[in-house]
Amino acid sequence: MPSTVLAPPGDAVVSQERRAEALDRFFALPSRREKPGRFWKIDLERLDLDDIALGGPDGPAPRIEAPAARGLIACPLREAAQLHSDLFQSNFGAAVRAQTQKFAALAMALVNSGAFIYVPADVAVDDPIVVTYTAGQSALFPYTLVVLGRGARATIVERIESTARRAFVCGIAEIVTAQSAHAVYASAQTLPEDSRIFFSRAAKPGRDATVQWAAAELGSALSVSAIDIAIDAPGIEAQIAGLFFPRGDQHVDMISTVEHNVGDANSETLIKSAAIGSGQARYLGNISIAAHAQGSTASLRDDALLLSKTSHIDSVPALEIAANDVKAFHGATVGALDEDQIFYMTSRGIDRTSAEKMIALGFFEPVIARFPTETLREQLRAALESKIG
Amino acid sequence: MSEKGLRIHDLRASVAGNPILNGIDLAVEPGKVHALMGPNGSGKSTLAFSLTGHPNYKITSGTVTLDGMNLLDMPADKRAKAGLFLSFQYPAAIPGVKVANFLHAARQAVKPGDLTPSKFRAMLMEKLDILDMDPGFLGRYLNDGFSGGEKKRLEMLQMAVIGPKYAVLDETDSGLDVDALRAVGKSVNAMRDSDEGKDTGFLIITHYPRILQYIVADVVHVMMDGRIVKEGGPDLANRIEREGYDKIREEIEAVA
Repeated sequence: MPSTVLAPPGDAVVSQERRAEALDRFFALPSRREKPGRFWKIDLERLDLDDIALGGPDGPAPRIEAPAARGLIACPLREAAQLHSDLFQSNFGAAVRAQTQKFAALAMALVNSGAFIYVPADVAVDDPIVVTYTAGQSALFPYTLVVLGRGARATIVERIESTARRAFVCGIAEIVTAQSAHAVYASAQTLPEDSRIFFSRAAKPGRDATVQWAAAELGSALSVSAIDIAIDAPGIEAQIAGLFFPRGDQHVDMISTVEHNVGDANSETLIKSAAIGSGQARYLGNISIAAHAQGSTASLRDDALLLSKTSHIDSVPALEIAANDVKAFHGATVGALDEDQIFYMTSRGIDRTSAEKMIALGFFEPVIARFPTETLREQLRAALESKIG
Repeated sequence: MSEKGLRIHDLRASVAGNPILNGIDLAVEPGKVHALMGPNGSGKSTLAFSLTGHPNYKITSGTVTLDGMNLLDMPADKRAKAGLFLSFQYPAAIPGVKVANFLHAARQAVKPGDLTPSKFRAMLMEKLDILDMDPGFLGRYLNDGFSGGEKKRLEMLQMAVIGPKYAVLDETDSGLDVDALRAVGKSVNAMRDSDEGKDTGFLIITHYPRILQYIVADVVHVMMDGRIVKEGGPDLANRIEREGYDKIREEIEAVA
């Protein structure tokens, strides 16, 4: 994408002015991600985007499967902007960090697809709402906006797939909730392994609300993602679960951020990753607790498993705690498979290869358990198993 | 085919370059219970790991045969398939691997396809009952967050499910309360009474004779400084209880 690219014409979703401003910001902002190193080969400041085929602002709409529920809106983003413009306008962009995050700015500038989910107050949607994005020859810029009314509950499953090789996806998922709402949002990215994806996920829960993100980054040559939860009201339960598993030359760069801006709220971050072949990954887990956010509880657990000599995972927990009456835990491990575990299994007749597979899959199990629906969990297990080889 | 039994001849092994086993001669007969007793540091656990093929235990000389098959040439999984089982003193925890799946994988590996899923399930329930274990165990992750007693019961459950030809119990009694000890005894005796387990030979490694109140040993072997120094009937265990290992050591040194 040459730097002379023009913002697409404005539409009901994003005005031309806002698109142009976001595009400027994309070019101006640094990625704030580490530079290439001995293992990591891709410079995110100098991405070669010239070969991306930009379609018009009217990209392919996602497939949306939603159960019947009173007052539930589940429709393409464009339709929501036209038919539910008040609801749409008052929530669109309320959580995502398009002002400060480079790739969120790009997604905002070029959004050409999307879904809008709205659950009115006190309505619980028990079955998951499934949003499937299918990338093609042209670049896909999806935007999923989820709005939950007071006491509403919903589970969203987002799938990101492609029918074409060398897909390019740059998107946003955004959750905005009222008081005491409960949102579960799980994403499974399984693009072909020569694709690139940049995704920004951000949530702004209301007082006493629960938000659970679960993200599986399995496909793509390059996957760059951010997961954010802003705690701006007391009583919030925030959960982030992430898994990734680069193999071959896949690169994964994930940052999660929980900002405890207000006290008396809990957050829990759990990341499990493995790498094999020459797979490379970097994970940065940010937790910040502001000085006045007393009574916060935050935990961050991230474990990385290296299954080959040439694979590499950098894992950095970053806790910034300014309050004194808080509970904060963090733990990080990076290592190979445990020989004692392997010996124990082989001593029961299980061959070494099967033992390694069982142990590696078991390693992911606590994070797989955070994904809703057994179908999705089984798909994740199968995808992970095929990566182990 | 040569002789039946788990036959250990002049076995020498070292750990991190230190010789621990200095020529072990011992034969575990099918259908018999052998107790291996000895003070701490005499090399009992080293023998258990050497038999099982732990990579940290280096065999420097000697032979071990299981019903005529040369065990020392085999990796750990092949030894298990040949019919050897070790009840670990400190079994590894493997988060994310469910007990039920592990038991099934182990049974399948050692005795492929011999039980239909429903027969396997029925067998599991029966063995759980013998060990006084709640079926909820099956859904837990392998040894993850288990108490000492739970780990030992799970080792016994694995033994019962796999049905080995020879079972080495490495201090399975240590750290157990009376109830757990009784459950272990019951499990071993139930196995000996079963069709599948009636010919199983046991090597029960223990520091204290109290487990032998629940499982009657046919032969007692005493190990010191990496050698078998004395063998006898069940009375030998009682003598150790009364007199301690020092007395036996004095006796041996007097002879030597």
